[in-house]
Amino acid sequence: MSSAPVPEGAVEGVGVARVAHFETVAQQRQAATLGIWAWLITELLLFSALFLVALVVRIEHPEATIAAARHLKFWIGATNTVVLICSSLTMSMAIAFSRMGWQRAMVRAMLATAALGGLFLVLKGYEYYADWDEHMMPFLADRPFALAETPAARLFVNLYYVATILHAVHLLTGILILLGMTWMAARAGFLARHQNWIEVYGLYWHFIDLVWILAFPILYVVNRSS
Amino acid sequence: MSATGSVGGTARREPHAPESTLGRKPDYLHAESTLRSWFLTTDHKRIAILYLASITGFFVIGAVAAGVVRLALIVPNGAVMTNDTYNKAFTIHGVVMVWFFLIPSIPATFGNFLIPLMIGAKDLAFPKLNLTSWYVFMGGALFTLVSVVLGGVDTGWTFYAPLSTAFSNTWVLPALIGVTIVGFSSILTGLNFVVTIHTMRAPGMTWFKLPIFVWAHYATSLIFLLATPVITTALILLIMERAFHIGVFDPAYGGDPVLFQHLFWFYSHPAVYIMVLPGMGVISEIVPAFAQKKLFGYRFVAYASIGLASVTFFVWGHHMFVNGQSDLASLVFSVLSFAVAVPSAVKVYNWTATIHKGSLRLDTPMLYAMGYIGLFVLGGLTGLYLATLAINQHIHATYFVVAHFHYIMVGGTVLAFLGGLHFWWPKFTGRMYVEAWGRVSAFLIFLGFNVTFFPQFILGYLGMPRRYATYPPEFQLLNVLSSAGATILAAGYLFPMLYLVYSLWFGRRAPANPWNAKGLEWETASPPPAHNFLEPPEVPRIPYDYPIQAQETRDQHR
Repeated sequence: MSSAPVPEGAVEGVGVARVAHFETVAQQRQAATLGIWAWLITELLLFSALFLVALVVRIEHPEATIAAARHLKFWIGATNTVVLICSSLTMSMAIAFSRMGWQRAMVRAMLATAALGGLFLVLKGYEYYADWDEHMMPFLADRPFALAETPAARLFVNLYYVATILHAVHLLTGILILLGMTWMAARAGFLARHQNWIEVYGLYWHFIDLVWILAFPILYVVNRSS
Repeated sequence: MSATGSVGGTARREPHAPESTLGRKPDYLHAESTLRSWFLTTDHKRIAILYLASITGFFVIGAVAAGVVRLALIVPNGAVMTNDTYNKAFTIHGVVMVWFFLIPSIPATFGNFLIPLMIGAKDLAFPKLNLTSWYVFMGGALFTLVSVVLGGVDTGWTFYAPLSTAFSNTWVLPALIGVTIVGFSSILTGLNFVVTIHTMRAPGMTWFKLPIFVWAHYATSLIFLLATPVITTALILLIMERAFHIGVFDPAYGGDPVLFQHLFWFYSHPAVYIMVLPGMGVISEIVPAFAQKKLFGYRFVAYASIGLASVTFFVWGHHMFVNGQSDLASLVFSVLSFAVAVPSAVKVYNWTATIHKGSLRLDTPMLYAMGYIGLFVLGGLTGLYLATLAINQHIHATYFVVAHFHYIMVGGTVLAFLGGLHFWWPKFTGRMYVEAWGRVSAFLIFLGFNVTFFPQFILGYLGMPRRYATYPPEFQLLNVLSSAGATILAAGYLFPMLYLVYSLWFGRRAPANPWNAKGLEWETASPPPAHNFLEPPEVPRIPYDYPIQAQETRDQHR
């Protein structure tokens, strides 16, 4: 939001085609931006409720939470944090390129963003595999829980799964939308008609990144202490 | 009747052909007539009609379930049906009425139809999203109906853990999934309204020229956006726990079921205002129109809407006074709950002050509105009883609570819904209903409602708990009275359905502004053309610019 979009028509071939029910292009841009922010506030509360539950579980069962959190793969989580921050960088570059009308560079930056998102999911998948291997999936009937002697550890582990799966679903959806949009954005004339799609989508991508930046300390870091 | 229907070669008889199509664009109902043009429409007015038809269907389902409950309670020993059937009946009633009727009722129908008209816009900001929200709504509803068809749910509409996660043997999962999905439709509607009200207002339509209806929907939309995601999370946690045993509430492992109640009521108390605020918006339009007088204290009513939407986020704990939360928490929640009375009372006083020395016409919408004001006051005052810690201990989870929230939800929201439906029916359909029938229906509903629910206040005060299939024999008289009232109420609901549908074919054609009301929606034709206004509407100097003005406004403009 900090840097305002380029004024309409400032760059050749970059702009937004007005849809009939809007009076002006500025109004249309404003509506799209406000719309995505409203959606992100909703998403923020969705995840906030989970973080609140994490807090409550930690307060009610500090010992069990620490025991469970020590089993999380800190370095995979940390690497994934870096991966997502890099993806936000490439997404920001895509937005900057779109404003300048550099379509080819923009498409490449978008593909890089999707690739980094994919890398995150691969690492996350490997982490789930390691969890499975260490008997850290208490909900599986055929694999006795590694921390069975502290029953409340289940609560934190379960919460970890709900939170990370919910985040992964957001990321996966984000990658699919991004790939679909990249496919459209590679065509001639896209930037003249839908430049603001890139801006609006970028906000969503940064948000998914931000949620992870909150989830990583709340799940992995805070609970390791003592 | 002149050259009706002969222009353009369409001699086919249609429900409501416009008077003359010469030199006039067809209205939104006749712009296109294929099935596809309805189910893939992005016109906010048509989507409103889709919603209206669907929520009417859900209302009938919920009302039938209520009938089953009242039937069971005619005898004290629960002999009419099994306890399981009884549990399922009140659960269906609650789930359908709350999630599939009350929450979308006014916003998704009137809000959808009227907000763009009232602010002078061609459509909502995101027309495709608007259509999507209807499909999401219907998809969620389908899941819930599947659970009903398969055999029902018995958890009550509140889905409290661990009953819903571990103990109930009924079809909880599809119901939970359905309610979760419907939440997204609420969010999309709220998002669309917020963006529309911010960005789509006609030139000159400043915030303090907006009708209170729009203010109320803005406040409601904020609640949609800020509260709904929290219940989504709570329901996702329930679904994960019930379906995959990935749970955080299970007491067997030290989980905290009261945590679920906190998350649930963090949404579900504000949801009360999702249901109430739009109704207040409707009343704020009807009362000035039928008093022909400027709304008293316009700015205060507008601020009170935002005030209610804000305070409501901090009172959820009053649902949990006896659930083991700390005394301090209960005390704070009690005090904050009392604060809700202030903006509510501001609205009631301003409506009554508007009526005072107005030029009253007691037509159907006004009868509903006056019924609303009276019943809302009773419902609101008994809410203060419940917010009082000591009294709450006595009447918690009794029929007193049931009566209280039905005075708000039915006496309030449903009456506002019906009042608004009659008020804007000419605008929606281009037809007038028979006024005398409308008045009869308003009286029937007011009478039936009070006979049904007033005895429940007494029952609750005497100690009859809610959700029980049996009761001591000395409560039978009041229960039979309540069930008898429900039959009057049922007749009162059925009657408008009949004469309103009748009016589609046989009603008198409606002029653009049958009530002599103010507001941009009355500036355009009835029914409006596909793009709402043929020429950009002129925004009035002040809102509610009625002939009779309160003293303060006269002073201001002197």
